[in-house]
Amino acid sequence: MKKKMIFSEFFKNNGVVMGSLLMGLVGFWLVFLIVLPQLSMLDYSFRFNLPPAEQGGPKDVYTLSNYQQLIYGSDTTRQTYNTVDLMVFVRTIIAAMAVTIFNIFLCYPLAYFLGQSKGSGFVRLLVVLLIIPYWINEILRAFALRIIFGDSGLLNEALMLLHLTREPIDFIRQDIALYAGLGYAYILLMLFPMYNVIESLDRNQIEAARDMGASWLRIHRRIVIPHAKPGIASGATMVFMLSAGALAAPQILGGPSSLWFTQLVYQWFNDSLNWQQGAAYAIVLLASTIIIVLTVMKAFKVNMGDIGK
Amino acid sequence: MSSTALIRIALGAYFVIFFSYLLGPLVVMSLTAFNSSAFPSVSPWACFTYEWFEVLFNDKSIRQGIYYSVIIGLGTVVLSVSMGLAASIVLTQIWPRLRSTYYTMIIAPILIPGVVLGISTLVFWDRVGDFLGVSEGSLLDLLFHNGIFLTILGQSSFIASYAMLVFVARLQRFDPGLTEAALDLGATHTQAFRKIMLPFMRPAIASAAVLAFLASFENYNTTTFTIVDYKTLTTVLAQKVRLGINPSISSLAFIIIALTIFVALAFEANRRNQARKNAVKEGKASTPKKGFLPPFLRGNPAAIVFVALAFVAIGMVGTAQQYSPESCKIQYQEAKQIEIQRRIQELQQKRKIRDQSGARNGPDIFVTPPPKKVQPEGGSGAFGNVFDPGNLNSDKNN
Repeated sequence: MKKKMIFSEFFKNNGVVMGSLLMGLVGFWLVFLIVLPQLSMLDYSFRFNLPPAEQGGPKDVYTLSNYQQLIYGSDTTRQTYNTVDLMVFVRTIIAAMAVTIFNIFLCYPLAYFLGQSKGSGFVRLLVVLLIIPYWINEILRAFALRIIFGDSGLLNEALMLLHLTREPIDFIRQDIALYAGLGYAYILLMLFPMYNVIESLDRNQIEAARDMGASWLRIHRRIVIPHAKPGIASGATMVFMLSAGALAAPQILGGPSSLWFTQLVYQWFNDSLNWQQGAAYAIVLLASTIIIVLTVMKAFKVNMGDIGK
Repeated sequence: MSSTALIRIALGAYFVIFFSYLLGPLVVMSLTAFNSSAFPSVSPWACFTYEWFEVLFNDKSIRQGIYYSVIIGLGTVVLSVSMGLAASIVLTQIWPRLRSTYYTMIIAPILIPGVVLGISTLVFWDRVGDFLGVSEGSLLDLLFHNGIFLTILGQSSFIASYAMLVFVARLQRFDPGLTEAALDLGATHTQAFRKIMLPFMRPAIASAAVLAFLASFENYNTTTFTIVDYKTLTTVLAQKVRLGINPSISSLAFIIIALTIFVALAFEANRRNQARKNAVKEGKASTPKKGFLPPFLRGNPAAIVFVALAFVAIGMVGTAQQYSPESCKIQYQEAKQIEIQRRIQELQQKRKIRDQSGARNGPDIFVTPPPKKVQPEGGSGAFGNVFDPGNLNSDKNN
């Protein structure tokens, strides 16, 4: 009943034509592009990978086997764990967290500097310089790092020239290139939310604290960081989700023996053509990253509404 | 006093590190586009060349990729901008208690990994086809398995959220009284929307469209699943980079970087001009400052970009005709040959020396670690060198 009231008010405010147009567009987006696709993927992940002839037949029942594959592997006795895939999963999550923390520390000083020095031409120029790499294709950015980190890449040549190392270091096989690339790919998504919040901080607060004799560290801990918390949370959430779900950087910069969890999903889909298995892995990735983000947000007392500001 | 100086130095060092991390890779990549070496690198600089641009322009798959990327980009712009606009308008009117749930729902696609969005789109439309019972090869079946259709939907599902954020920021400054006034004066709702809301939102629509197009153009994670048997520029590039890299990709990157810098500077110039005009209007600044540009270029960033691009193009074509890298390449090849010869000789020399010492040490099976110094006297080690590999032979020789 109440819903009806809301709808009638909505149509009264917008007119029938505009109201239904707006409702139609939003409804199409939410239902057909977000909710139903996710649900159908969830449904898919509980099914067997059957040839088309048997689909809808008696064998087409729900199963947990796709999830068991992740935990136990193809072992039907369930004695041993699927250590390969589980290790990839754990590594993905931990590395994504590490990349996020690294980005927070790298971006905070710059965000503070940009946010507090208001409107000079130099700062504008810095912001423009910062935006440029963001417009370059993700693949090309990964490619640029590959040129630098390659066996005969610039970094190895420089290190050997300085006699810091005699043999070229294999940055790619040791995953250094991968972590650098992940940090590089999404660093601006950390910087700009932080910059936006710090910019809105009243300078007088900092000056007042300084006049009262607060130390430099204390000013940041008690004034700047609490104020910037929504921005930091928003940036951290985006960087974590995007690095955990990154595909381009691991494919280009990852070593041949180490995989990222999204690469497993990709393999199930495109190499093994087992969509059901791939969907199950994707669901695990989605659910675990969301749980982690919500837990961290709860621990730091941040609301969902702060994201994207 | 010294502590502030220290902080300044630390801050400067940090800036240098940050910006070289951010921009350094792009600079290096741009440089590799002009090196004739077949593997993209700068440090053994071979010859300055434009040949990789030629390779790039003759690459059919890249041209094809750009074509499909533009089509998909335009489709995504239309769909995501209209959905984002509708969602932001609904957000301003929604029942307050539903508001935060609704906001979470429309912001969520930004946070869902692109891989998941791609997979779910692919699976869902396959299911819709099954559900509607469309027969194999019918029009709808082709549509639901068409890479362009699926990619536009998959990308729009999260790009609409970006567009929505742009619109929400603008809508906060909208005065609903304007629409009410129009309605009171007898306009229909559609008219009020077209004559009041749309003109007000136009700058936001423009920036959302640019943002959506760029996001669509560079998207990889979602596209790689939904594109099926087509190829966009990004998937072509990804395939090339994974299969084996060559500097023609760097030359593409150079073109994109150059365009980006021009566009960014044009935007910046435009913004400054606008700010100055506003200041003049308010009487705060009296005369426009003298710029370094002639007056017909001032305030027209597009012209600046055009002139700069024309200069670059003329310069490149001119030098390309004047300068041919062939002679340099031959020289470089010769130098390389000489270098290789020298190395071979060095190696031969080394082998000779080793063979000589090996003749005394017996068969050369202990290549690594390098042959130890032969101690013909023996007895200087704790066990009189009984474990020395050359010991048996040297005993015999002695």
